[in-house]
Amino acid sequence: MTAPTAGLELARPRVRRGRSAGFLRQVLARRTGLIGLLILVVFAVLAIVPDLLVGPLQTAVSATGGRLQAPTAAHLLGTDEVGRDMLNLTVHGTRIAMVIGLLATVITVFLGGLIGVISGYVGGWLDTILMRISDFFLVLPTFVLALILTSMIREILGTGAREIFGIRFGLIAIVIVIGITSWSSTARIIRSQTLSLKERAFVDRARVIGAGNLHIMARHILPNVVNLIVANAVLVFAGAVLTETTLSFIGLGDPFQPSWGQILNAAETAGAAGLGAWWYFLPAGTCIVLVVLAFTMVGTAIDDVLNPRQRSRR
Amino acid sequence: MGNRFIARRVVQALVTIVLIVLVNFLLFRAMPGSPERILARNPNVTPRAIEETRERWGLNKPLIPDQFIAYLGATARADFGFSFVARGHPVTEVIGSRLGPTLLLFGAGELIAIVVGLAIGAYAGWRRGGVVDYVGNGISLVLYSMPYFLLGMILLLVFSSTLHLLPSFGMSTPGLRYGSAFDQVKDIGLHFILPLATVSLGLIGQYSILMRSAVIDTLGEDYATTARAKGLTGGRILRHHLLPNALLPAVTLIAINLGYVVAGAITVEYVFNWPGLGRLTVEALNSRDYPVLQGIFLLLGVSVVLANLAADLVYSLLDPRVRL
Amino acid sequence: MRRPLRARLARVLAGLGLALSVILPGAVAPAAAADPLILRVGTDQTFSGLNPWQAVYVLDYEVFTLNYDLLVGYDQNLGNAPGFAESWTTSPDGKTTTFKIRAGMKWSDGEPATAEDAAYTYQLAIDAAKQELTMGSGYIDGYLSSAGLKSVKATDATTLVVETDTPTALLLPAYVPILPKHIWSKHTLKQIADAEAEGAFLNNAPVVGTGPYTAVEYKPGEFMRFERNPNYWGKQGAADEVIIQHFASGDTMVQALKNGEIDYARGISADAFDALKADPSSGVTTVEGFANGYSYLTFNGYPKAIKGGGSSTSATRDPAFRDALAYAMNLPELVDKVLAGHGTPGTSLLPPFQSKWYVAPAADKLRSFNIDTAKAKLDAAGYKLDSSNKRLDKDNKVINLRMTWPSSEPELATVAQFVKEWWGQLGIGVEAAVTEDDTLLADLTAPENDGKANFDTYMWGWVGDVDPTSLLQPFTTDEIAGGSSDTFWSNARFDELFKQQGQQLDEAKRKADLQEMQELFYAEVPNIPLYFDSELHAYRTDRFGGWQNQPPDTGTPLFGFGPIGYTLLTDASIAPSPSPAASEPASSAGASAGAATPAPSAGGTPATATSDNTTLLVIGAIVVIAIVAGFVLMRRRGAVADEE
Repeated sequence: MTAPTAGLELARPRVRRGRSAGFLRQVLARRTGLIGLLILVVFAVLAIVPDLLVGPLQTAVSATGGRLQAPTAAHLLGTDEVGRDMLNLTVHGTRIAMVIGLLATVITVFLGGLIGVISGYVGGWLDTILMRISDFFLVLPTFVLALILTSMIREILGTGAREIFGIRFGLIAIVIVIGITSWSSTARIIRSQTLSLKERAFVDRARVIGAGNLHIMARHILPNVVNLIVANAVLVFAGAVLTETTLSFIGLGDPFQPSWGQILNAAETAGAAGLGAWWYFLPAGTCIVLVVLAFTMVGTAIDDVLNPRQRSRR
Repeated sequence: MGNRFIARRVVQALVTIVLIVLVNFLLFRAMPGSPERILARNPNVTPRAIEETRERWGLNKPLIPDQFIAYLGATARADFGFSFVARGHPVTEVIGSRLGPTLLLFGAGELIAIVVGLAIGAYAGWRRGGVVDYVGNGISLVLYSMPYFLLGMILLLVFSSTLHLLPSFGMSTPGLRYGSAFDQVKDIGLHFILPLATVSLGLIGQYSILMRSAVIDTLGEDYATTARAKGLTGGRILRHHLLPNALLPAVTLIAINLGYVVAGAITVEYVFNWPGLGRLTVEALNSRDYPVLQGIFLLLGVSVVLANLAADLVYSLLDPRVRL
Repeated sequence: MRRPLRARLARVLAGLGLALSVILPGAVAPAAAADPLILRVGTDQTFSGLNPWQAVYVLDYEVFTLNYDLLVGYDQNLGNAPGFAESWTTSPDGKTTTFKIRAGMKWSDGEPATAEDAAYTYQLAIDAAKQELTMGSGYIDGYLSSAGLKSVKATDATTLVVETDTPTALLLPAYVPILPKHIWSKHTLKQIADAEAEGAFLNNAPVVGTGPYTAVEYKPGEFMRFERNPNYWGKQGAADEVIIQHFASGDTMVQALKNGEIDYARGISADAFDALKADPSSGVTTVEGFANGYSYLTFNGYPKAIKGGGSSTSATRDPAFRDALAYAMNLPELVDKVLAGHGTPGTSLLPPFQSKWYVAPAADKLRSFNIDTAKAKLDAAGYKLDSSNKRLDKDNKVINLRMTWPSSEPELATVAQFVKEWWGQLGIGVEAAVTEDDTLLADLTAPENDGKANFDTYMWGWVGDVDPTSLLQPFTTDEIAGGSSDTFWSNARFDELFKQQGQQLDEAKRKADLQEMQELFYAEVPNIPLYFDSELHAYRTDRFGGWQNQPPDTGTPLFGFGPIGYTLLTDASIAPSPSPAASEPASSAGASAGAATPAPSAGGTPATATSDNTTLLVIGAIVVIAIVAGFVLMRRRGAVADEE
């Protein structure tokens, strides 16, 4: 039975060692993969060293410009309603959006991968229960759930100005919520892959010579699933960025650590669209589109690599 | 085998619905803050009145079992309580009045997106590397990467604020007396264009990518190769063999996707002031109108479960290979 | 297989349908002759419902003053004016007021409106108080209980006698609408007071009232429609109908105003306001009204430590500490940066809008921004710096103040950034984070009401009535247990003066009391008033004229007190300039299609623009059909090429 997994099936294993290096090279060989990765590298640089490029994050106190100024030489992307430089805000927003995306992806993939492998390999009633739970999460209106959970978790974490990984508590709530609501599709994909791997010859051989379950899971199943996890992680990252943007746009972001979504929220509140202040929301909007696009392109390239049959031209 | 399969799926769906009801309850009763506090900001309200409000909203008794049982009973009676904001109006009435516009917007949007998106995706997948593939896929990717509300804001900026072509808010000009049915259709129609365009474009992006993937998958299947070997022409292969098989996973994915469309619904309605469930969700969230939020969550959850169930059943009818 | 064919057909049909839906209605353009003149008002505030006892928001008040009369109304200058009652006299002991009700008044459904109705309405409040029941939200009946209402009687159809416990200045300004007995007495007190009781009376449209307009249609969350009350005793405004439209976002509201889709917008953002003001060609007039309230920064002044809650430092309950910190607040800069200049720095717990009662602090007492003074005062008060330049409190703990604000007031986040910077210079750490409104309310609750008062400082705002009492009440000792005190400040002299001023009928003496209260408040700083943020409204003059601010120097035309803003409006199209609506029928069928869109918009630009727009849309539709057809053909050709 072909499960609807958007066509991500494992390529026939050809070379065991050095697979990762070959994998990356294959992705880069594709134009989409190359462009996507380049864009991501640019954003990664912006995310890692924003201070070097534009100085520290401007606050209402350290704002350098006048209200809602159009782009000038001094302020290449104009200013917001408190006078902060939009270029400065947008670059710093990169770090926040990327870190949140990264953290959320790590949680999602870790949870989803773990549950998927265990569920697929152990099978039986554990599998059934885990998959029921995962189905449940797939089916929930996750966005509404995310909205509500974010408020709840904020309350639990307290009105703190404390930070984890340089992200304030209010945004950590979003990270956790994305993790909670996104792991199920990863789990599904990993599980079905695990299922098919379980029946492979090399697993049987390992079992015959007496290898324990944990050993098999770690040494044989996991490495063959890694590529799939990477492919999935890329798409999860894109989704995480989009979700965080939307949640921040609705107003659950943190004005002290403006992500792109928070900038858009501020733009909406200040009435930028009506005032014709296109510089307020276009930079952040373009960045969002570029980053998600880049991830999707890389994801498509990985998809191509993992499905050699598709390479044959008609 | 078929009947047992159907029965099993139905039972699974029911179990999921029960879980949703449970989660719904826990979620909202565990929410921070209490409704009667809003009254406390008023110097004239007596402590007795605050106490009364707590009683009235059942917040005095312990969470489990009292409040939970009361909640279950109420849900069974389709009594979801009263809105905190629209005092005295039951939640069912508040949600019911907003259901129509959302169904209209998303129904039409999904229809257009399915037709156009699947068509573009199918053609792009079929003719990989062709112009339609690059252009169509490229545009689809951009649309897919763009949050719905951004697209909406841009369309609003261009068509309403700058060109003054279309109205900027709501579903119809408020209080307008319609000379005839045509007038009403036209008024609503004009208000409808921008939000519909936003929703459709966003969904088209998603569906065309899905369909393209699905078609590419099926292209590699053995029966496609066989068909080609038999000498069947491209068009026929596409229509008779590939599309039906590609449509199956696409349909399932669309159903699964419904949960994610909700995020788009909320923001698009917010930007265009469209009087639907999405905007109601944001307003209820902002004013902490928990009963309404609870009702919306339940409604959406149950809808998605039913949609998935329907998709599964359709899938099983069409593809006899399916066993679960 | 038939599916692709159907898909193609569907697309073509969709395209045709779009074109048809645009063209056809144009051919059946209805006559725009005797359409009612509709005033469209926009607001982003939530509405609680048509039952006045549930009123909480400014919008709720605005609605019931359209539907109903107050016993005593307000004139242009916020002075007392005839309302339901024509005149009134007070007995020498001040405890009995006799109102002369206007003769010959009729409810909008034709029934006679007499003193009986007024007696009925006030009696509801008395009965509720006796049963310890709060009517609805508690704001409206609260006015009567504050006035000490004891009894009410209609001695005849035009005479109403009201008795209060003590002489009171609060009876005349009581913001209570007079309700029709013949409609409301069909319901029990519980049904009227409790919105969720069995058979609760929601007072759904159509509403029966004596006000100038009555609500005939209400769509929750969307709009409310009022029609002129033919039986209104006073001067009628030019609008035949009024629509109050709800907007989820302020930005959309401003767009609608600019497009002519609404005539009046309440509560627009500072930047939108400035943009509108700077552009006279937009046809929009802006008006900046003084705030009847203020935004503040409150300290947790609870006098004792609270287990598991309370302030993190005993410093916040020390007036000297608060005073010192107030010197480290650059209020003019806040007005400039946060409000874009639309407001004035905070100076008192009463806003200057209350011109009869507001007293600015004396020049020698007025605080100004001076970090050095603040530092000196902190040292003098016993708050020293430690070795790492952090300020210590009297328990030798480093002072780290938590600061929060409700998520419904996002501009306070900007204020927090400034305050954090300023107080940082004093060696005081500030942890700033937003809190959801409800959680914040829970955090503010005192132990007297089962709360933990778990905050150090927070920011929010108060809004007042015409009478200053409601702005003073939260600072009385009674309100610590009563629930509305968030400073937990307790001052015996303040309490004494509060009671006194409520019973003081002599205005000069009352002002003296209020002056002392304001001085006391300013000296002890239970909270720091940040600024009096202005009301930013805007309106169009192309359809309605006669907009007058209430009061003339400091108010806004609508959303003031009473319906006077609406009744003063005139029809701008009766002015000499030719109305573009007259030239509509002369144009071609394509243009008359434009008239069918916002029908009563007799305003120039929008209507003519719409006729051009329709033509554009038709062209657009044709283009769409062409594209669709082209796509279909392309695929056809592609398939043919496949077929070779």
